Amino acid sequence: MVGPERAVADLVVPLDYTYNYRVGQYLEKYIQELGNKKIMAVKCPKCDKVAVPPREICGTCRAKMDEWVEVGPDGTVENFTIAHVWLNKGAVEKIDEPKVIAMVMLNGATVPLAAWLEADPSSVKKGMRVKAVFKDPAEDALTDLSHFEPV
Amino acid sequence: MRNVAIPAIGYTPVFVSKRKDVNIAEMVNEAVDAALRNAEMTMDDIDSITFGNMQTFEGLNLPHLWAADSVYALDKPMMRISTGGTTGMSTLQAAYYQVASGMYDVVMAVTWEKQSEGDSQVGLAGIVMPEAMLMVQHGMDLMGGKGMGFGGGGSTGAASYQAMSYLHHSGASPEHIDKMAALERSNAALNPYAHLRKKTTVEDVQATPMIAFPLRFGHTCPTSDGATVAIVVSEDVVKKRFDNVAWIKGLGSATSDPTTANFLEGQLTDPAEQEPARIAANTAYKMAGITDPGKEIDMCEMYNGFAHQSLMWLEKTGICKEGEAHKMLDAGELNIDGRMPTNASGGVFSTNAIGASAMNRPAECALQIMRKIEGGHQIPKPIHNALAHGWGGMFQYVTVMVLGDEPRKL
Amino acid sequence: MDRKVAIVAARQLNAADSKMPRERLLFELVKGLFDEKGITRHDIDTYVLCSNDFQAGHTISNVFEDDPVGAFMKDETKVEADGIWAATYALQRILCGKYDTALVVGNSQGGSVFRPYLMMDYTMSPVYDRQLGIINELSSAALQAKALLDAYGYSEDVFDQIAARSLSNAAMNPDAFNGKKGTTADMVARSAYLYEPLKEMHCYPMSDGFCALLIASEEKAKSLSDNPVWIKGVGDSIDSYYAERDVVKPNSVKLAGERAYKMAGITAKDIDLAEVSAKFAHQEPIICEGLGLFAEGSAADVASKGLADIAGDMPVNPSGGALGAYAFSAGGMVRLAECYKQLTGTAGDIQVSGAKTAIAHGQDGLCMQHNGVMVVSTEEG
Repeated sequence: MVGPERAVADLVVPLDYTYNYRVGQYLEKYIQELGNKKIMAVKCPKCDKVAVPPREICGTCRAKMDEWVEVGPDGTVENFTIAHVWLNKGAVEKIDEPKVIAMVMLNGATVPLAAWLEADPSSVKKGMRVKAVFKDPAEDALTDLSHFEPV
Repeated sequence: MRNVAIPAIGYTPVFVSKRKDVNIAEMVNEAVDAALRNAEMTMDDIDSITFGNMQTFEGLNLPHLWAADSVYALDKPMMRISTGGTTGMSTLQAAYYQVASGMYDVVMAVTWEKQSEGDSQVGLAGIVMPEAMLMVQHGMDLMGGKGMGFGGGGSTGAASYQAMSYLHHSGASPEHIDKMAALERSNAALNPYAHLRKKTTVEDVQATPMIAFPLRFGHTCPTSDGATVAIVVSEDVVKKRFDNVAWIKGLGSATSDPTTANFLEGQLTDPAEQEPARIAANTAYKMAGITDPGKEIDMCEMYNGFAHQSLMWLEKTGICKEGEAHKMLDAGELNIDGRMPTNASGGVFSTNAIGASAMNRPAECALQIMRKIEGGHQIPKPIHNALAHGWGGMFQYVTVMVLGDEPRKL
Repeated sequence: MDRKVAIVAARQLNAADSKMPRERLLFELVKGLFDEKGITRHDIDTYVLCSNDFQAGHTISNVFEDDPVGAFMKDETKVEADGIWAATYALQRILCGKYDTALVVGNSQGGSVFRPYLMMDYTMSPVYDRQLGIINELSSAALQAKALLDAYGYSEDVFDQIAARSLSNAAMNPDAFNGKKGTTADMVARSAYLYEPLKEMHCYPMSDGFCALLIASEEKAKSLSDNPVWIKGVGDSIDSYYAERDVVKPNSVKLAGERAYKMAGITAKDIDLAEVSAKFAHQEPIICEGLGLFAEGSAADVASKGLADIAGDMPVNPSGGALGAYAFSAGGMVRLAECYKQLTGTAGDIQVSGAKTAIAHGQDGLCMQHNGVMVVSTEEG
């Protein structure tokens, strides 16, 4: 019979692992073209899907998508949320200024893209037109597509 | 309990240190395509998917979610299995049970690892990291007795205890480990899907530095990027579509205590004892109707992260008596053209995409039975019964599968 | 199904902080179940564990779980997904005829050990979404909630009402910890916005959760229990990871339900109560409508008429659901355990009267990408 238990040690273990992911050929090209201020998507050979960000497989058709097409840089806000917090390694923290996350259906695409929308939150509406803003100079990263703003 | 068979296997085109050309989802897709092609099936034929890998190696939680599109899983049932080193066979066993249960007729088992994207030693050390940190805080020296089980090259440190104990109990010598290593690497040289494919001599192995006695670098497995997919079908589907399959005749699994000089729990069992191997193998033999495995089994694929383990598992799974395995090695019985070809593929010792490693064992057995081995390591004699073995956890999990050229008698 | 299989025991333990190592709690939970049934670990033919490496902070999370649950030298495996899949796998193992008893044990310590939102971050594409930090569990849930509001023209108070009902139910459930007696929609409405329209009180709590289910084939089930809860059907399906899927009417929920009903030989009308893993209040109508329990777009109606109340026409989450306690690997299993309580008449203050057939639901992924359900019944059939 074990006696009463008491905690003898309380430990926080920060696990710090570094991973080096291969982005694959599709995202590699996508990132390169962002540097040229172009947003690239891929078309499914079997259905009407135009997917951005680009990836290899159309899950619906189980087909490989290798036809590239430029989409945007303008698009329509399909959905949005106003952020009052952010997640700092999984912990919820309040932010000073609310920010807008929009699901943007770029011209020519059939899959919406999640992106920051720099606009007055109270002015954001489903259906509004927005345009992409690119980083200049480009940094060879996904964030070269920096955010969207109202047209 | 209805009979279940494997009609086809799919591998990624290569198993190498670093697949720089593809991301994880793209890599796994290659093996899925290969399996479907080899089975002459489409996803319409697949009722369900089981999916396994070892998470921390890629830092990806529930990767079957992100990879769903890449394995053509949409609108299908999907189940993720994850049991450490035995993941590959556990995932295949899940597919087996799904078909044997009668719920599904055709299940695709997907296993993989892309270890180049993470740090394997960190992934392995992650098993005990919290405990290790706690002990360090209380003054434990990481390079001391307990620490060596953990340090000294990660799991190699722990495996060295196992190897020492095995040598002591079996009467085998460190030279036998060298010999087994050379044999398996030379086997791998014939296998286009192996990772380390350089023909190796005993002298080559002995020239490599010691990590922790008796284990050298030449005794340890690589870390590989690759994927293995198996299609698993019911006997009705075999009747309708296939004339050449490998039947799953028996399977078992058992788990011991975490035996790697675990800090908080101590060691209940000797890491070379591996009682779960005996239990799992006996369960599988019984199901398969095998009463004399040493005579009835025609080949073995053992999960050997370290070269001494092939010999150890032969004894622990009852293929031969304790102390006999190294004698079989000396007599040439473990060679591809021997009486008990062991790891004709080169084993985990030559190819280790860890989530797939325990699947590669039954996959190779299946290909040997069906005589569909690509490359030069097809075993010349007909294979009626094959033993596939998987191992993992903290030296504690064992899964075993017996495959054969005829269905088990129900 | 060739064999009849039933749940014959269910135990759960949920807390904001269990204050003890999981090995200890797993031991207590499983020992308690064994003592209750007068069995030992040798009566268990196979173990199906359910835990998650990231949640546990351990690679191969089941390495230290095996001994406490009694799996030493026994047949054991681990599912790494919501517990509903572990229960499904145990069912499959028994159905094939090789095993007669299975112990399913799920656990997760998102309250005291690891942050669930970070764990969910790790399920995202490592090469895209995780890099950008725009989509996470909360922002994606908010987008889903907003899309739902737009689709049917609801006002946000529908979600407030669902949350209030859940939290009030949870207060009456000794197995949930996050309940608050007398929670009103107004109180929920006044909680802070996280990502609009998602509010604090719409969200599942950080939970430590442990759940064990004893599942047995017919012969054993009848010797182990006077009122076995029979498993009549299971269904599961997965949607695309990507933004082309319909998060308002997910195909995976619909297919999971259809498959389970088909296996059980029933329709949605035969369901007396539902325990669904709605991690956020807005997910409840999505799941329930997808399972055919309510008409499409009826959430406002359901809320105002109290149709989902314990005494309502179609009780949903009498336990309080995920808002009362939610621990990933144990998630769907706890929903099953709650169904077990209901169907054995042991649900106390949250008892749905006359409940004979129930459906339990579990999910994985952002916005319910993967859904699994199990139909259970007092009727052997």
